[in-house]
Amino acid sequence: MVIIAVATVATLVVAVILGLVIGPTSISAQRILGDALSHLGIGHSTLASTQSSVVWQLRAPRMVLGLLAGAMLAVAGGTYQGVFRNPLADPYLLGVAAGAGLGATFAIVDIANAATIPTWTPLLAFAGAMVAVTLTWVIGGRSMRSTTSTLVLAGVAVSALFTSAQTFLQQQSSAQSIANVYIWLLGSLANASWHSVLIVLPYVVVCATVCVLAGRALDVMSVGDDEARSLGLSVRSVRLLVVAASSLGTAAIVSAVGLIGFVGIIVPHIVRLLVGTSYRRILPISVVFGAAFLVLADTVARTVMAPSELPLGVVTAVIGAPVFVLILSVRRMGNS
Amino acid sequence: MVRLEHVTLRAGATILVNDVSLDVAGGSWCTIIGPNGAGKTSLVAAVAGLRPLSRGAVSIDGQRLDELPERARARLVAYVPQHPEIPAGMTVEEYVALGRVAFHGVMRAPAARDREAVTGVLERLELHGFRHRDGSSLSGGERQRMVLARTLAQATKVVVLDEPITGLDVRHQMDILELLKKEVAECGLTVIATLHDLTLAGLFTDRLVLLHRGEVVLDGSAYDVIRSSELAACYGTTLRVVNVDGNDVVVPVRGDTRR
Repeated sequence: MVIIAVATVATLVVAVILGLVIGPTSISAQRILGDALSHLGIGHSTLASTQSSVVWQLRAPRMVLGLLAGAMLAVAGGTYQGVFRNPLADPYLLGVAAGAGLGATFAIVDIANAATIPTWTPLLAFAGAMVAVTLTWVIGGRSMRSTTSTLVLAGVAVSALFTSAQTFLQQQSSAQSIANVYIWLLGSLANASWHSVLIVLPYVVVCATVCVLAGRALDVMSVGDDEARSLGLSVRSVRLLVVAASSLGTAAIVSAVGLIGFVGIIVPHIVRLLVGTSYRRILPISVVFGAAFLVLADTVARTVMAPSELPLGVVTAVIGAPVFVLILSVRRMGNS
Repeated sequence: MVRLEHVTLRAGATILVNDVSLDVAGGSWCTIIGPNGAGKTSLVAAVAGLRPLSRGAVSIDGQRLDELPERARARLVAYVPQHPEIPAGMTVEEYVALGRVAFHGVMRAPAARDREAVTGVLERLELHGFRHRDGSSLSGGERQRMVLARTLAQATKVVVLDEPITGLDVRHQMDILELLKKEVAECGLTVIATLHDLTLAGLFTDRLVLLHRGEVVLDGSAYDVIRSSELAACYGTTLRVVNVDGNDVVVPVRGDTRR
């Protein structure tokens, strides 16, 4: 466990360094470190002011937003898998994606033929996500005897409703608007700024902390609702708390970076293969590994076809799937 | 003492348990018997405080279960369902330690006394050698012993078990029931269980309660209940009681099925 924790943190450090160093303008880690220290009054920077701006105004906020997005999506995915006792659960299970998609589409098609995505898109995406999750909870979770499957089915129904509304809006809008909607839906860190980092930071810190602290409760819930209650757990309260935290954190991330798939489902599974099935271990390691994973994926996304960028969701799937299969194979060989 | 007062459970318009009142003395073993669909599982889940009652109350030592928060209730009564879920990958020690959650809560790690309690139960039930094994990989008998260990780690006065010997061979059935009997005799544990095996119910139990269509038909000593005409009538078949070396054995007889 200690080795895996150290290896995960090392991966994060490597991801952070690569996220800052790699780009169209090659700047060494040593020079970036020198520039960072010079800002603290230690030594002199060897970077030109443009290079310093590239590092601290473009790459650094993008890297930090990637860390936050990866950490939140991974821990939310792991939490959903625990609370719904369903290995296929991901952070978009209760309608966050469909709600955010509808909100964003509403914002984008509002200005027909706009060349860029409106600045208030994240706000409407966040509102859409929260409306969708709240609706899912009201429909599926209001009964005292409601089960997790009721909640999941309500999520499916709400997602279908919001997606159909989004499709209708797209059908009524211009080709340029549709293109902008798809750019947003595919997810990207290209528009990252310190401003967007500061907006999502409190959500991620609070929500990810709640999820990580719920690890022991999720372990208890793995024996089923009745047994968990007989062991002294307030199952309904825990479920409400962790679903609210996961959904709120995911909504904040989705509003800032769009829909990045695969991280929330693949990262907790990779971590589970490495550290076992206890959520006390899965969730904190998922935070660190998810952060590293998304920054590495983004580094690939923005460099492999430079100057154009690959959709981040495509890269997370292309990297994540083989890594998952590899770990699964190694584990099987180890068990046989 | 466990007291059930006019306990009634409904599922929609269907009455699962109707106006059941029982007093179960501390340090005794009461078994609920009855045919499939009699309401045994619903009744024991209610005794464990896990089902909202349509009417009536369940209390342990004067404390009404429906008025207690989950953690307080979990310190009074432990529950084992008919098919306990064993999470894959969870070790025997981790699983047994779940029994201590009511003491340390989910925001704190187990304290030294919790770890000692788990170690003590593992040793008492001869599971110490298995403690690092994946609980889901154990055999049926070992698995049920592990579930019992978790229940005893909960250190409650009352344990409620729904069909604790389902799917076990005869030796493991005897093994589990002997363990429970020992806890009743030596530690003063109160056991409320359901059993389908009438012979074993008669052998191990102080008191049998015959439930049929949600109502108590008969309540008495094992000797009286297994010899009663009501027992065969409720099961809809002919039963004979044969004494073997001082043990009453309930035997179904072919060719005379009652309806």
